[in-house]
Amino acid sequence: MSANCDIAFTLNAVKRELTVPAGMSTLEMLRERLGLTGTKYGCGEGECGACTVIVDGATVNACLMFAADCDGRELMTIEGVAVSEAGERLRDAFVANGAVQCGFCTPGLVVQATHFIAQHPDADEAAIRRGIEGNLCRCTGYRKIIDAIAAAVHASSQGGEHGRG
Amino acid sequence: MGIERYRTPRSLEEAAEILRAGNVTVLAGGTDLMPQTQSGKVRFQPVLMNVRRVPELQGIAEDGGVVRIGALATITELLESKLVRERLNLLWQACDHFASDQIRNAATIGGNVCNASPAGDTLVPLLALDARVVLAAKPNGALETRRVPLGEFIVGPGRTCRASGELLVAVEVPRPPAGFAGEFYKHGTRPGLDIAAISIAAGARRDGAVLRDVRVAFGAVAPTVIRAPRTEAVLEGRSPDAAALAAAARMALEEVQPISDVRATDWYRRELVHNMLKRVLTHVCQL
Amino acid sequence: MGAGDKPVAGETLIGKRIPKMDAPDKASGKTRYLHDLEVPGTLHAKILRSSEVHARIVSIDTSAAKRLPGVHAVITAADVPWQRPIGVAKDHLPLKTDRVRSLRDEVAAVAADSEAIAEAALKLIRVDYAPLPVVTSAEQALAPGAPLIHPEPHGADASPHLKSPGAPVAFAGKPDNVAMVFDYAQGDVVQGEAESDLVIEDVFRLHYVTHCCMGVSGVIAEFDPSGNLLLYSNTQVPFLHKREFAELLGIDPGRIRIIQPPIGGGFGSKLDIYPFEPIAIFLAKITRRPVKLVFTREEEFVASPTRQPVLLKLRSGCRKDGTLTFRTVETVHDNGAYTSWGATTPFVMMQTVSSLYRVPHCKYHTRAIYTNNPYAGSFRGYGNLQATFAVEAHMDRLAEALGMDGLAFRLKNAQAPGEITPQGMHFRSCGFKECLATAAERSDFVRKQAENRARWKDPAAVKRGVGIASMLHVGGGAKIYPSDGCGTILKLDDFAHVTLITGASEIGQGSETVLSQLVCEELGLPLSAVTVINNDTDITPWDVGVHASRTTFIAGNSAIGAARKAKTKLLAAAATKTGLAEDALDLRAGCIVRKASGERLFELGKFLRGLHFSDRAELVMTSFYYEPPSKHQDKLFKGDVSAAYAWATQVCEVEVDTQTGIVRLLKVTGAHDVGRVLNRLGIEGQIEGGIVMGQGYAMTEDLMVEGGVVRNPNFRDYKLVTAPEIPEMDVSFIETMDGEGPQGAKGVGEAPAICIAAAVANAIYNATGTRITALPFTPENVYRALHGAAELPVWSAA
Repeated sequence: MSANCDIAFTLNAVKRELTVPAGMSTLEMLRERLGLTGTKYGCGEGECGACTVIVDGATVNACLMFAADCDGRELMTIEGVAVSEAGERLRDAFVANGAVQCGFCTPGLVVQATHFIAQHPDADEAAIRRGIEGNLCRCTGYRKIIDAIAAAVHASSQGGEHGRG
Repeated sequence: MGIERYRTPRSLEEAAEILRAGNVTVLAGGTDLMPQTQSGKVRFQPVLMNVRRVPELQGIAEDGGVVRIGALATITELLESKLVRERLNLLWQACDHFASDQIRNAATIGGNVCNASPAGDTLVPLLALDARVVLAAKPNGALETRRVPLGEFIVGPGRTCRASGELLVAVEVPRPPAGFAGEFYKHGTRPGLDIAAISIAAGARRDGAVLRDVRVAFGAVAPTVIRAPRTEAVLEGRSPDAAALAAAARMALEEVQPISDVRATDWYRRELVHNMLKRVLTHVCQL
Repeated sequence: MGAGDKPVAGETLIGKRIPKMDAPDKASGKTRYLHDLEVPGTLHAKILRSSEVHARIVSIDTSAAKRLPGVHAVITAADVPWQRPIGVAKDHLPLKTDRVRSLRDEVAAVAADSEAIAEAALKLIRVDYAPLPVVTSAEQALAPGAPLIHPEPHGADASPHLKSPGAPVAFAGKPDNVAMVFDYAQGDVVQGEAESDLVIEDVFRLHYVTHCCMGVSGVIAEFDPSGNLLLYSNTQVPFLHKREFAELLGIDPGRIRIIQPPIGGGFGSKLDIYPFEPIAIFLAKITRRPVKLVFTREEEFVASPTRQPVLLKLRSGCRKDGTLTFRTVETVHDNGAYTSWGATTPFVMMQTVSSLYRVPHCKYHTRAIYTNNPYAGSFRGYGNLQATFAVEAHMDRLAEALGMDGLAFRLKNAQAPGEITPQGMHFRSCGFKECLATAAERSDFVRKQAENRARWKDPAAVKRGVGIASMLHVGGGAKIYPSDGCGTILKLDDFAHVTLITGASEIGQGSETVLSQLVCEELGLPLSAVTVINNDTDITPWDVGVHASRTTFIAGNSAIGAARKAKTKLLAAAATKTGLAEDALDLRAGCIVRKASGERLFELGKFLRGLHFSDRAELVMTSFYYEPPSKHQDKLFKGDVSAAYAWATQVCEVEVDTQTGIVRLLKVTGAHDVGRVLNRLGIEGQIEGGIVMGQGYAMTEDLMVEGGVVRNPNFRDYKLVTAPEIPEMDVSFIETMDGEGPQGAKGVGEAPAICIAAAVANAIYNATGTRITALPFTPENVYRALHGAAELPVWSAA
């Protein structure tokens, strides 16, 4: 038996209102209540980054965040990031650089990388490696993920119009 | 799940009032609370109180030689704070070795302190820097605060002397003396996403040829994070030559009580304490 | 017609960097994995696992669980008396009857309206256990008077009401805890030893690691009103599993359909049937609702098959001129409580022992022993990592004893194209020596090896080392099933769009992209013209499955065969229409052209419409089944089991901090004989991913099993490699153009993971003078080895 909380928040730029059990995680809310399956369950403990979302402009593990704590905040998931200019640029870079294999870790990485690049527009290899240290990947060995992020850093520093390809 | 009410106080008064009524679980960043309640290690009290909107818990500022860090300051905010980087560099280094970006963005210093892990990354430098916690409560209708040195606040593994009606409001850290330099070392193969097998925060200032204001603290080698006063005494007022460092490393072994667990054996932790204290002190003396 | 049009230039796709076709959706979060699927009316299932490592089940009381609102079914073995055993040795009943043999054992299961209710119901199930003595090592299991893990035929010691009359006893029990034995010999090792000037012996200990696919295990089972079964499964062997599930349920395999949603990683973990799948099927049958069962991450660690842990004794020798004479290997495999593919890793291990470098005499012996530990399954490399770790340690030791550098010694014994090994493997294409030479040259191996060795006595705490190791693996399938083939159906529509229907599954390695590439190469079409269907057993033709690095080779040849048939049909029709000879025509850039000049004759779509909407009324649809020309091994394990073989050499450069034991993998220089590079982007990704998986096996991953209990079932304490830790990687491709391979290519899926640990071991030796013969090289393990405080592997099995 768990108390319910009425929450109002912005999700991918759209206002939402919802009633959630106090103990529910943001990850569960997104996947089970809102049908947004792009954010993945990888471990439920904040160790793998597969559930990375953006809250008030900073990335967090949705599995560690209480859904009730979304109240009054701005959330962005992979579904929102993927249709943003920065997210599309990053997606194109991931695709072109071979950074996707099974793809399960990819949404979390795209969200994390989008935020990271916005914070560190001049990031070098070492900074990029640190920037994604909280995202586990079992398929790629990270090499092409780092290359893709570096390519996106380079593209975004060239200016928006030339940012693709 | 057991939560009957969810509260979001908007002031310290309101929060303290809720705490006074009892049976409250405090929620800040959630990065410790969520896994602990999911695993059953911690059980929710009937009231879950989210303190994120309490303004008195925010902010990082310096006043009269003391840096006051609000309980809700996230590790990322500490990393991005020029004040913390310049004044409390030892703490800043630990923040750079703390988990991952996603966790740093949500984890709060208040949560880290109240969680009182024997391996707590921020706790080791805070202890070395003589930090104290500021606690607030309304035991008799009026808001009262008290200050407790961190070493006294943490009483056991995962345990503090915070009374159930008290809220951690801030951590206050006196500026170290001019010329103080320190290094934080965390053992692991990764920069951050490791629970430390051991961690060390050590620092001092040079006074001519000798060391003064020597601080040495350890994590993950005792039931709580610890200062090593006897080790400090070995170095205080002494020139940091090879013999001094060797003596300090030997003394440190007497002050730590590591256990064997899934991360390391006690034997190995002792080897690391010995070898890495010498290495950290060597670096500090070169700074 | 195209008179006056510019001639069409064909541009090959082979060797290019081609992005994966499914990457855009995956990078947008659009791809729906099994976990994301919503089937209307689904119930959620959870499994109650044993709380004892070894015990008799005295009683199970499910009454309270059944009464919980939202619970639709609670089952135990008593509810499914018709269940059949699963697994390689059929020693594994999905729901345990009279006893539990390991901590993961499935005792009961619940189907409920939600996961939360199912989990709450589990807590209400009362199980009464009578503990039995726990066997936690093979040594213990082999000791006289040891408790028996499978003492009797299954069912024989169960209560009468659990036996169905006349049911065959599937598994007879093992009176001595020995699950399987493997023996292989070539030549005469006694003679080989007599001919040796140098003989060495070591014991190696290879540890437990686990797959850690980022997507946890799960399944959705649904019966239709007629009793036909639909499974959403991430199996890597859908057609084999279709047959096995049919046997399990006692129904016609034709009534089972398997749909494979996109997978969150495989690496060999999904080649066997594990209890959770039949259990979900049982619940679906009993509740008549779709049932979805998904693991938690902790469950994934506790209940998944591991890589096979091995205790290995290797004795090998050579002459003073450096030629190898013999290798004798004995291993003890901890089989765990039930038998999965791990027990069969000797198939692969004996190939490495007998044929990695030229060795005339060889003897190999494995005993797989039952214990109460987790069981091992198939995992990328399939025993080859373990065998190579030992073999390459000895190559290093022998070279050193002779005073030869590690490269020269290996080159001397490396095979050349055309050789047939005593085991019968025919190395038609073989780039072994080129791999050795390339990796060594690019890494400056010989010079660095000498330089580092000269620094052993240096007082510096941090030392550098380089180590070299090679690997041999099948690269053209592995004929271990009755067929090693793959079927393709191909159709072209009215607009020259191709639908490629292949039996080969995509497990993230990019098979659908490579197959499309091969088809487009034949048909002169852009990749955008292809749709691949590969995930529905009702639609796709048979393929044995994704394993043994076979998919590019076998499915590739199958796709090429179907495409060539289509091409023949098109060019024959065009020849008829133009009066030109067929071999004067070609398909290029979406057109039918004159081969010599490139002159455009027909736009392909228009031509196809012409074929379709005419008196001929013909569609272009073809099919092809490719069976590789390999052979089954005979009873002595001899035979040319693959259509091609692949090699790789890797040089690892490390930095060892002798005061902490921390080893940093600085650089991996690898040279891979891949036959031919098809998708350069894809193959690089496979190699890089394999290298890092090898790095994890060698240095960071350790599934700590103590007393039958997994002590670290989480990512916090089971360390996967993270981005800051990866080495610099320099990868070269040796293109030996295999005659049988599609466009000359050979398989690489497993290769890059196989010899990293061996090379790192040799590198640590080169840095410190200490040879460590047990994995993993975690800081504490390395530190102990450097300071004489390690627990050395001891050959103690009776």
